[in-house]
Amino acid sequence: MATFEPVLTKGVGQLDLTDVAAYRKNGGFVALEKALKDMTPESIIAEVTASNLRGRGGAGFPTGKKWGFLPKDGRPRYLVCNCDEAEPGTFKDHMLLEQTPLQLIEGLILSAYAINAAHIVVYIRGEFLEGYRIFMRALSAAREAGYVGDNLLGSGYSADILVHRGAGAYICGEETAMLESIEGKRGEPRLKPPFPANAGLFGMPTVVNNVETLCCIPHILTRGAAWFASIGPPKSPGPKIISVSGQVQKPGNYEIPMGLPAGELLQDYAGGLLPGRTLKAIQPGGGSSAAIFAEDLHTGIDYDSLAAKQTMLGSGGFVVMDDTTCMVRASMTLVRFFEYESCGQCTPCREGGQWVHRILRRLEAGEGSDADLLVLNTINDTLTGTNLCPLGDSIMPFLLSVLRRFPQEFAEHVTLAGCPFDPARRMVAA
Amino acid sequence: MSADRPAASRRMVNVVIDGSALSVPEGTLVVEAAKLAGTSVPVYCYHPKMDPVGLCRICLVEIEKTPKLQIACATRVTEGMVVHTSSERVAQARNGVLEFLLLNHPLDCPICDKGGECDLQDFTMSYGPGLSRLTEPKLHKPKRVDLGPTIVLDEERCILCRRCTRFDDEIAQERNLVVIDRGHRSLIGTSDGGPYRSYFSGNTTEICPVGALTSKAYRFRARPWDLTHADSVCAQCSVGCNFRIDSRFGRIMRTFTRENLEIDDGWICDRGRYTFNYLYEPTRLRRPLMRRGDDLAECSLDDAAALCAEKLGPAARAGRVGVIGGGRLSDEEAFALQAFARQVLGTNNIDYRVHLQKFASPARFGARLIDIDDASLVLMFGAYTPEQAPILDLRLRRAVARHHTQLMYIGPYRPHLPVEAQYVEYTPGAIADLMMQLADTVHQGRTESGDGFVADIARRLAQAEKIIAVHNGRDPASVSALDRLLETLAGYNHRVGVLVVGSQGNARGAEAAGCVPNLGPGYAPCSGEAGMTTGEMLKAAADGALDALFIAGANPALTFADGALARRALENVPFLAVAEQVLTETAALADIVFPTASFAEKRGHVTNLEGRRQAFGQAVEPPVDVLSDAEIIALVARAMGHAESVSPQPAALLAGLVRAESAAERSVGDLLPRAKVDAVQPAAVEKVDATHRTFTIIPVPHLYSGGGAVAHDPGTAPMRPRPYAIVNPEDAARVGVVPGERLTLSGSGGSIDVEARVGPQAPVGVALVLADMPEAPANKLLDASGFGTATISKAASVPEQRSLERVSA
Amino acid sequence: MAEHGDAQAALIPFLQYCQEQDGYVTQQAVSDAAALTGITDGEVESIVSFYSLLFQHPVGKHIIHACRTLSCMLGGADRLHEHIRRRLGVRNGETSADGEFTYQEVECLAACDKAPCLQHNLQFHYNVTPEEFDRLLETWRAQPAGAALPAE
Ligand SMILES: Cc1cc2nc3c(=O)[nH]c(=O)nc-3n(C[C@H](O)[C@H](O)[C@H](O)COP(=O)(O)O)c2cc1C
Ligand code: SF4
Ligand code: SF4
Ligand code: SF4
Ligand code: FES
Ligand code: FES
Repeated sequence: MATFEPVLTKGVGQLDLTDVAAYRKNGGFVALEKALKDMTPESIIAEVTASNLRGRGGAGFPTGKKWGFLPKDGRPRYLVCNCDEAEPGTFKDHMLLEQTPLQLIEGLILSAYAINAAHIVVYIRGEFLEGYRIFMRALSAAREAGYVGDNLLGSGYSADILVHRGAGAYICGEETAMLESIEGKRGEPRLKPPFPANAGLFGMPTVVNNVETLCCIPHILTRGAAWFASIGPPKSPGPKIISVSGQVQKPGNYEIPMGLPAGELLQDYAGGLLPGRTLKAIQPGGGSSAAIFAEDLHTGIDYDSLAAKQTMLGSGGFVVMDDTTCMVRASMTLVRFFEYESCGQCTPCREGGQWVHRILRRLEAGEGSDADLLVLNTINDTLTGTNLCPLGDSIMPFLLSVLRRFPQEFAEHVTLAGCPFDPARRMVAA
Repeated sequence: MSADRPAASRRMVNVVIDGSALSVPEGTLVVEAAKLAGTSVPVYCYHPKMDPVGLCRICLVEIEKTPKLQIACATRVTEGMVVHTSSERVAQARNGVLEFLLLNHPLDCPICDKGGECDLQDFTMSYGPGLSRLTEPKLHKPKRVDLGPTIVLDEERCILCRRCTRFDDEIAQERNLVVIDRGHRSLIGTSDGGPYRSYFSGNTTEICPVGALTSKAYRFRARPWDLTHADSVCAQCSVGCNFRIDSRFGRIMRTFTRENLEIDDGWICDRGRYTFNYLYEPTRLRRPLMRRGDDLAECSLDDAAALCAEKLGPAARAGRVGVIGGGRLSDEEAFALQAFARQVLGTNNIDYRVHLQKFASPARFGARLIDIDDASLVLMFGAYTPEQAPILDLRLRRAVARHHTQLMYIGPYRPHLPVEAQYVEYTPGAIADLMMQLADTVHQGRTESGDGFVADIARRLAQAEKIIAVHNGRDPASVSALDRLLETLAGYNHRVGVLVVGSQGNARGAEAAGCVPNLGPGYAPCSGEAGMTTGEMLKAAADGALDALFIAGANPALTFADGALARRALENVPFLAVAEQVLTETAALADIVFPTASFAEKRGHVTNLEGRRQAFGQAVEPPVDVLSDAEIIALVARAMGHAESVSPQPAALLAGLVRAESAAERSVGDLLPRAKVDAVQPAAVEKVDATHRTFTIIPVPHLYSGGGAVAHDPGTAPMRPRPYAIVNPEDAARVGVVPGERLTLSGSGGSIDVEARVGPQAPVGVALVLADMPEAPANKLLDASGFGTATISKAASVPEQRSLERVSA
Repeated sequence: MAEHGDAQAALIPFLQYCQEQDGYVTQQAVSDAAALTGITDGEVESIVSFYSLLFQHPVGKHIIHACRTLSCMLGGADRLHEHIRRRLGVRNGETSADGEFTYQEVECLAACDKAPCLQHNLQFHYNVTPEEFDRLLETWRAQPAGAALPAE
């Protein structure tokens, strides 16, 4: 059974961590008080770099290194918090926002102090209305308690937090699209270079960090980089929240040490599969990730181990599918997601996503053909790796992994002229 | 322009593209470097005039040491870069993009206007997929979307490259054409499905790589490969944009840009582009007309010429003759016209100026259009480039947006400009004084200390490294004061320059050819006493002191400032001959009307506002009885027994003009002599005490005003505004003017009916009235100063719709 | 935010506010937003049309956003959606005949462990069965009118 002592989720579900006193009692604001008194921005960056913390937003970029990219040219800098969580199967930032907003605020102020940001902007997904309200209450409590605002704890450093509510677009989770959105534009990813570190929000040097990444910062500073780096594999260490959903006994967010084998997470934390079912596929890193299968359960949940399996840790959305699930239908659901959420700038993403979605719909409705299968088997070459942002490259990985693993299941949809799982109800209504 | 881009610096780097090694400036885009290497990379979203956006992905190329394919349109070369533009991988990716684009494309090439010059068709031929896989049923989007007066959009053909929306944003800076929705549901559209109104809309049909945006004037008329091309120059305004006229079986089908970086930067405006179908309208004059009582009846060319000779001869001998025109003729023809006046009629009574323009060229500090590009400050007064010189205005917009050029507009009302500008409200008559004050302030170095807005402007001037003044050559006093100011600034090492926006397309050419009463060709002082200006000729004609007027390509009845005087003159003069393409207000009063050829129907040269002489070719033949102005002048001269004086041949005329110019150059000193100026000076606009219903009238220009070709062209007709007058909201409230209602404006020369508009751009006590509208000639309200006063009342006539209702009731 | 960059940063908050007042982004709101931020009406509409939580057309008082992405699908979303459509007599994206309910199937709402989930005027409802939906529907019907999507 699980033995890892939670770090980021300590007290969640037991204490009201939106309350300043309760949060302090839980160990909160210790890092902030220490850092503002005893640490220079440079030493914080050094500590974070030494911890080997990698961004929890999906790309896994080393956080200390990202902070170090900022040009030292005196222009005002922005820190932007990415709380636009919308990756299918991921619900950890949502939880952190609602359950422990003061931890996020502490992480924000620390990070802003470290990079000497003039402004902090939190981009909260539009659908998180409740989370937004909770965060705003926590923010004013933190302000009242002197943790946000001018001359923090007498350090001379001032930081305030502005909140921007999203308006419904997954692509705004991509960092440059997010910047466009904050600027009041269509949330379309920018052409890079220039990168946000150089020309970000309003053209100023900008760092974008994920909620969970920022929540790690206070702990690194209180307990030290060495402690953090010792959790899990050295190259991708730390505690990590995995959102487990799908066909398991106990879906939910679980904080694990990086590197925990997938099978242990499934069995020990999530209670295993539903009675009588067998495992078919797991999407280990959100809707953009390729599937792993029963034989991969020993694989560690961390950036490098999953990359070695041609998939990724991504956002940590762990979706479990058992033998009752049709892979055509599962892929169709995900491809539809990308089709709907594509901003539409790039030809392959815009047109290809729509094409693949139509083919999968057709297969599921029993109207598919061998020609359709041929397209599915070859389209990856022109659809993936040809787009401006990673969304376009996220359409195919899951589909391709299950198509390679279960080719007969796809073929059956053609030969049976329908879905073998639910022949009576050719799905696709709407 | 490449100068807008992160500069391709001077340093050269070595690259290898498809095996050929070359050295190009560091920072060059791979797509441009490939052109230099003789390879072409296909592009859709990339356009050399606009920022790269990297959307369509057709331009993917392989760059060694970079794992993923890269877009050639946004990747910049670095030292040692090795690029493959047609490797296996590249071919596959290209093929893929084409396949994606064709997926929902209607493939209606046989009925598409772009067929034959479509980049989707072409690239599919060169790089594309076998269509076998495209058995997918097509998704449908709206076809034949009416985007307003000029453009039709087919959303199904659109490949969402966004060139059109980016043109409207980056180049025109109007930002009305946008992408609606997202993903594959994206559409090109406008606010609330309204019309896409822009003076530059036609350019989007050219840059659209497919047949999604098409011109209403051209739809389904011809196939590109059936067209004959002729290089021409637009003569609709003084910018002189280069363009191409495409015709089929002797009829003009369309016009197309012909990039000249120093003039038009590859764009033309819609007036220039679409004003050609009037040639095929019944209103186009095709036969000479002769007055028979109240009517004009067709006659033969010979009869028309004979009557001219009969009337002009005695008038000339009596010294009671005048010639007006030249600004709408070619350089050669303007030369012929003044030669006709001076040598055949023996008079210096020749003037091209029918508007209030006095000079079409700066006496000093002449600038080029490209000087705007890097100007620090542009000072504009009198001229209003958005309406009078659209493509110049585009250059100005870009300079303001990209190079932080400051635009300062001095005038009696707040202009509507798409880019940021500083507005200085000033009555025209006082501008000379302002210039003098500025010159003094700069000269005395009081720019730092002084306060008040004069010092503020002077400070801006002092801080500006390069200053370009743009005016309309109307007010000699302010022009010489400007010269003084610029001289002072030049003395302090500022770079300075002047552009004069011509009142007519070839105003500058006419001036240089000697169509002014005191100067011959090449600004040489004319022999003998200076003749009469247009105003003086009209006054003399009205007073019975002239016996005959010959007018070529001018419409003083509508455009001369003092409309009442012009009409009196044209009605009273015993003999009036007019050469025109359509029956203008002036031609309608003539005794003889010669139908003339348009610019497309002849060849020659025109001189633009910067003084650049450009050749234009003939695209089509004129109708049988229609001659060029040069031929008409020669015909009349021959009838008068002066066959040798005026040749009908452009080549001979040009040779004559050039000879005269080079002779003049030797005789003219440092400063060019100025054209003779009318006695009347523009008066300060007196703001009438605003307690009653009398308003100061200020005419405002509009690109589509005028009674000539544009008034008769079905292509431009939908763009023409309805006559209106704008009053300040304060005045509107005081005298009870409601927007949209009909108003009658009554002045000294009569009254006109216009639509009421209310807006803050009109100063209190002023009504801004649309100028040069045949339906409501504002010049009825004006005097020779170009301004006037009028009383405003509600129109007596019931609006049209209502009277119709009454009829049907 | 406007104070930090240019006026356009105020656009989306302003539109959210307008929508809270009027239920959707009216043509008047478009013009006001354009005037406020110095962009054109067309640009405002382009931006509005990009975001799925900004409505260009009138919608019902009750907006139901039902998640259709993988985890919810695995949790029975298809059956729920079919039920909702039948109950409201609408197809995806439509408003019920009485104008009260707008139904939209949406993508992952980040509540995948409580599948299938939906939002009613941005309030979450978890593990929604068809029976649970019917019960919710009754309480919504009884609710007083208010802004469909509160902007705060
Ligand atoms: C299509 C797309 C969606 C994304 N969505 C999110 C998201 O919802 N939350 C997030 O933190 N990062 C998201 N990212 C990743 C961000 O672009 C960015 O890498 C991240 O916020 C950086 O923070 P980190 O370094 O702390 O991980 C997304 C990226 C892409 C391409
Ligand atoms: S890949 Fe897709 S989402 Fe990303 S920029 Fe291109 S079209 Fe937009
Ligand atoms: S209309 Fe033409 S130019 Fe505009 S986006 Fe479509 S294809 Fe491109
Ligand atoms: S700007 Fe003037 S010269 Fe150029 S196309 Fe327009 S009317 Fe012709
Ligand atoms: S031309 Fe390069 S991406 Fe379109
Ligand atoms: S899949 Fe429905 S909330 Fe995530």
